[in-house]
Amino acid sequence: MIKKIIVLLLLTIISFAADATVEIVKKIDVLPKIAIQDASPNNVDSEFRKSFFKLLAGDLRVSSHFRVEDDYLRSSYEGGPIENFLSDKKVDLILRFSLDQNSNNAVANVKLINARTGVTSFEKAYSIPDKKRYPFLAHKISVDINDQIGAPSISWMEQSVVFAKYTEAKKSEIVIADYTLSYQKTMVTGGLNIFPKWANKEQSAFYYTSYSGVEPTIYKLDLKDGSRRSVISGSGMIVCSDVSQDGNKLLLTMAPKDQTDIYLYDVRTRKIEKITDYSGIDVNGNFIDNDRRIVFISDRLGYPNVFAQNINDKNVEQMVYHGKNNNSASAFDNYIVYSSRENKSEFGGSTFNLYLISTKTDNLRQLTATGENLYPRFSKDPDTIMFIKQYQNQSSLGIIRLNANKTYHFALKTGKLQSIDW
Amino acid sequence: MSKLALTSLAVAVLVLTGCSQKSPEVDMTKGTGDTKGTGVNDGMSALQKLIASLEANSKVIYFDFDKFNVRKDQQANIDANAALFNSSEAKGFSIKVEGNCDEFGTDEYNYALGLKRAKSVKDGLVAKGMNADRVTVVSYGESNPTCTDKNKACWDKNRRAEFKVLP
Repeated sequence: MIKKIIVLLLLTIISFAADATVEIVKKIDVLPKIAIQDASPNNVDSEFRKSFFKLLAGDLRVSSHFRVEDDYLRSSYEGGPIENFLSDKKVDLILRFSLDQNSNNAVANVKLINARTGVTSFEKAYSIPDKKRYPFLAHKISVDINDQIGAPSISWMEQSVVFAKYTEAKKSEIVIADYTLSYQKTMVTGGLNIFPKWANKEQSAFYYTSYSGVEPTIYKLDLKDGSRRSVISGSGMIVCSDVSQDGNKLLLTMAPKDQTDIYLYDVRTRKIEKITDYSGIDVNGNFIDNDRRIVFISDRLGYPNVFAQNINDKNVEQMVYHGKNNNSASAFDNYIVYSSRENKSEFGGSTFNLYLISTKTDNLRQLTATGENLYPRFSKDPDTIMFIKQYQNQSSLGIIRLNANKTYHFALKTGKLQSIDW
Repeated sequence: MSKLALTSLAVAVLVLTGCSQKSPEVDMTKGTGDTKGTGVNDGMSALQKLIASLEANSKVIYFDFDKFNVRKDQQANIDANAALFNSSEAKGFSIKVEGNCDEFGTDEYNYALGLKRAKSVKDGLVAKGMNADRVTVVSYGESNPTCTDKNKACWDKNRRAEFKVLP
């Protein structure tokens, strides 16, 4: 019964936000309240346990589908008449986890308990091979708990993020992380390595541009066997901007004649086809409409803005009629999110904001208000956007939950974020 | 115990495969960089000294905020660089023009802006008699600041084109 009520309430909220460009300014707080209990044995490191608790609590909060009890609570795994109800906390649900430190894997047993009846409604044992990847274990648990209440999927939390960060002049590294940056593994070092882009949905390989050779070169790094393969080189500038849904086509920004244009590259045949043709700047191609069309950034009106065209014809359509410096964009179905420089003064540093538009309506929604908000990228669902935030010398990964109208930031401890993909 | 609870108590062990990575960390300075010469044990060779001298004598070209056209006050530096690179001692070398931007923006557009700056400088050099085949361009976007302070003077210094002399 409680599940049905929760689903109904969530659907009620979400139905108000069917158009993501419409901002919800007020809603009734009806989300289920959940408490998290740590039932790990005492021999499990307490810092590890608390770190895991924070990851779960953070995930459930970011999902925007729960009210999360802040207190870190202990319990036995079986629980009892008090632990299975937590009457004083007035919660609807209890998430209980038990970590195993003895295994080489990251291992957790998890229960979801209906706090009104004390009945376990879900139980599962989780294990992932590399202990350091435990944040992904927490994210997987959160995704499953979210599914249990019938809320819209948050499976994007399981996606890996690949990002480049500047470490010093002409030097950057490429790192794989979870969305909270709690797990990080440096994959590429040495020289300038930028614009990483996942090569497939499985995230088993990524493309990136390296400046280590005579010309900028796109490489593909396979994570399964560690092999690295040179894909294509180009003078001046070369970037893999997007990968088709089947992974067989790439949108490249290239400048063979010192002018950037967008090219379509066939991974299997290595054939390359020029898509845009303009004497100024065309960059940042993104596939839309089942890979039949692209959106891209061009300065063909005298300032950078968002345009679209079919792959097979040259008719260009202006997509955004707001702002005079829209320098980065990402698309999903009918939605385009873009970064816009708010004023053209060279004295202002905090002047980039993100905006969301729908190609079906005239609505425009401002998503950020302070700092430099750059490089927006949709998740695999249109409700979640990741972006780079630079604010007062701090570089962070931002997550926007559109329907909930909430933004979260995860700070990078060292370096400055250059680009992201997930 | 209810049927629901009995069903849900069936514990499924989930082995998340994730990306079973074999620690494939790559150092791009190994295997893809230019080969280094051998036998130079007295610091720089005569060739390296000449290249270093030409690069030191070249003049940096600065740009306005969000612009890639060569300013009037920078034209004299273009002329001086063209004369330098067309001199008898430099004529055998290729010239790489590196375009750079200030710190604002992390996207492809910023790299394209740096490339346009390098291209403008290349066009200026060619207009002054340099063979276009001797000049290549590359953009480093915002990745190569000479100054990291947060003020206008610093950002002015970073919006620039520099020169590398290649044998």
